[in-house]
Amino acid sequence: MRSSISSFKERLRLPRLFFRRPSREEQIHGGPPLEFERPIPLAQWRGISVVVTIIVIAATAGWELYSRSLGYAPTLNDNEDLWTMARRRVEPESIVIIGDSRAWFDCDLDEFQKGLGKRPIQLAMAGSTVYPALADLADDKNFHGTIICSFVPHLFFAPPGSPPMERAEKGVKRYHNQTPAQHVSEYLGMWLEEHVAFLKPDDLSLEGLLNQLPIPNRSGARVPPTFPPYFQTEDRERRARMWEKCAEPESELAKRIQQIWIPLFTPPPPPSYVPPDVFLAKIKEGIQQRFGDTVAAIEKIRARGGKIVFVRFPHSGGLKELEDKIMPRQQSWDPLLQMTHAPGIYYSDFPELSGFNCPEWSHLTAGESVEFSKRLVPHLRQALKM
Amino acid sequence: MLFNSLTFVAFYVVVTTLYWSIRRWELRKNLLVVASYIFYGAWNPPFAALLFTTTAMDFWLGRQIAKAQNQSGKKRWLVASVCMNLSMLGFFKYGNFLLQNFQWLLARVGIIYQPPHLDILLPVGISFYTFHSLSYTLDIYRGVLQPTRSLRDFILAVSFFPQLVAGPIVRAGDFLPQLAHPPRLKANQFLWGLALMTLGLFEKIVLADTLLSGPADRIFGYPGPLVALDSWAGVLAFAGQIFFDFAGYSICAIGAALTLGFHLKDNFRFPYAAIGFSDFWRRWHISLSTFLRDYLYIPLGGNQVRPLRMALNLVIVMFLGGLWHGAAWTFVVWGLLHGTYLVIERVFRIFFENKPWAGSPLTRAVAGCATYGAVCIAWVFFRASDFTMASRMLTGMFGGHPTGDMILTTRELLQIGIVTVGVIAMHWTMREESFETAVMRLPAWAITAIGSFMAFAIIFTQGTSNAFIYFQF
Repeated sequence: MRSSISSFKERLRLPRLFFRRPSREEQIHGGPPLEFERPIPLAQWRGISVVVTIIVIAATAGWELYSRSLGYAPTLNDNEDLWTMARRRVEPESIVIIGDSRAWFDCDLDEFQKGLGKRPIQLAMAGSTVYPALADLADDKNFHGTIICSFVPHLFFAPPGSPPMERAEKGVKRYHNQTPAQHVSEYLGMWLEEHVAFLKPDDLSLEGLLNQLPIPNRSGARVPPTFPPYFQTEDRERRARMWEKCAEPESELAKRIQQIWIPLFTPPPPPSYVPPDVFLAKIKEGIQQRFGDTVAAIEKIRARGGKIVFVRFPHSGGLKELEDKIMPRQQSWDPLLQMTHAPGIYYSDFPELSGFNCPEWSHLTAGESVEFSKRLVPHLRQALKM
Repeated sequence: MLFNSLTFVAFYVVVTTLYWSIRRWELRKNLLVVASYIFYGAWNPPFAALLFTTTAMDFWLGRQIAKAQNQSGKKRWLVASVCMNLSMLGFFKYGNFLLQNFQWLLARVGIIYQPPHLDILLPVGISFYTFHSLSYTLDIYRGVLQPTRSLRDFILAVSFFPQLVAGPIVRAGDFLPQLAHPPRLKANQFLWGLALMTLGLFEKIVLADTLLSGPADRIFGYPGPLVALDSWAGVLAFAGQIFFDFAGYSICAIGAALTLGFHLKDNFRFPYAAIGFSDFWRRWHISLSTFLRDYLYIPLGGNQVRPLRMALNLVIVMFLGGLWHGAAWTFVVWGLLHGTYLVIERVFRIFFENKPWAGSPLTRAVAGCATYGAVCIAWVFFRASDFTMASRMLTGMFGGHPTGDMILTTRELLQIGIVTVGVIAMHWTMREESFETAVMRLPAWAITAIGSFMAFAIIFTQGTSNAFIYFQF
């Protein structure tokens, strides 16, 4: 039997066939005359395909079962497409939550709906700067609703080009430029994520697992900080709830995440290629710039009749100490309210909002977030004169 | 629509099932036209109209070229086609670039001119489909192709979805004959097509996106000086990333076409085992290099001219090849570097080709390493956003920043090292044969194991639908 490859080589030697009818011998398997036909390697392709399919299905099922045995369950992963879906639901008079992961974890939409009379739209994004979303709402000429804005100094003042800024910009950019194909992929992806437990890019993907390898780095290497592993579930409204495994008392996962926050929230050393005094001056300039931009965005929203309230959500332990040390309230929260003339709710100013437990120092458990939201509502109503 | 997206999986399953369920060939071709326009329109629907306009114009111009009574008449219609295609490309791809350079030139003579920034959105794959379409009128003019009578067939030749947005650049003359008769569904061909798609997706999702793109992006985005190890690691990571990204797309395209009964030619043939730069361009982006050879280099005189003119021809071709990749001077420098490499190689050949040691294994190994190193140096200009970045990278690579920063983790360095050694070893092992021959040598259990590993790795990796690098061209 002649191989497909030898047939291919012979064919290459044939003259161009396009302009004349080929002889029977020149036809491939009775098919059309071709100047070029790809060789098909001789192998038992049917058998191989069946075995490959069985192995892949078995391996995938095994990986799924193993993931579930570790406590993982199907849930949505947060990404710019899911954010875009939520952003699309914003109507002119909507109540919108923007900011970082604290607003994402700690706001219960049901309680807000009960207390504020309208179901808010959750646009807060983990590890992101709030400014791009605020500016986007300010530029949306139809929007004149209410904004509940979380404030975490380290993230609020993140400079352009930094990961928190890029993450937020990615969401806004996707909202404006999402292609029909990305839109369809999001719906298909959501369906899969709601049924498959191992779809956890942070923990159970190849990259996630490679990141967990305990390989020491070179001394002096300026490597990016480690990000926390998966520790929340999310629904189609982008309501995040802390994973029970993290919320358990004395949780190992919570302790691990606590130790990740410290380097993540510690400002990196000045870059080697910029003199320290120049770097510090740039940082100060960047903070003033962010204050100015925020004021300008809020004025645009107010001019259309919109409202905004800033909220400092609970945090505790070593992380609170670090945040208070790096960016004390007098240098961040107070000037923000002063410059924007916006109302603000600092959780520790009110006994009923204090004393909540953040197992990993930064977010409330799912159960506590409901109670916190219930207690926050009267303060929001008062601040927003509702 | 990206090959590595869930939308494409659903689209492909529906289209392929319908395609092989329909008996009438004409209906099947209609289905492919509709599917291809949906595939393209899924990015930005209005651009499908632009694609159709270019195609319809070239269809009509092709007929005019064939009908023209004399050579000068043919030439006039060809010039019209070339101008139409290149002006579309020029406006969408090079509009702002030309304005910026015009502004710079005026500033040199003391005229301050602030051009309006044209808010032009680049239609995905415009460089590719322009060349698909242009090859039709060029081949009719050259007398190697007769115009097709079916506009629908020509639309399909230009817009056939597997190769529409990132190649391979399939010439109308290679595709139109395949539309003459319906292909038959052959199990082995179909399954081999699926195997190629799996390989392509593995290259893209696992190797390019997961193992290489992160470190490459960080190194080329770092604003400070880097030590030599990190600089080289970044360049090697990009060299691997661009190969796996683009070759992965090409293999997916070839596989998808094969499952529909169409045969597209190879676009890559183990390029990192090239010995010399002519060899490299016979192995890298073959559809572009042969396009430039047939429609530009040979008409300029090719090798049949005096040595100096030939050198100039090579540089002109590679200059335009660089510009084709993007509207930036860094791409031009990348092209010019390759042009210079090709000229230097010709000079070397004149002096050393007949020496007894020229073909020895050691010489070949040294030449292979030198080729890879020079190609990597050229990649710096291809990837860098500007010349400041490129110059900083090159300085770092050659030890100019001994106290520079180290920003890659040990794990990333290991990843880059393993993938780079792996890809070079694979290319050298298979450099003298085709991929299909290499597969045929493997026992069935090995093919099964490799296929299972790649398919599971794709699922396990949970890709993030990063766009293929060549979409921007």
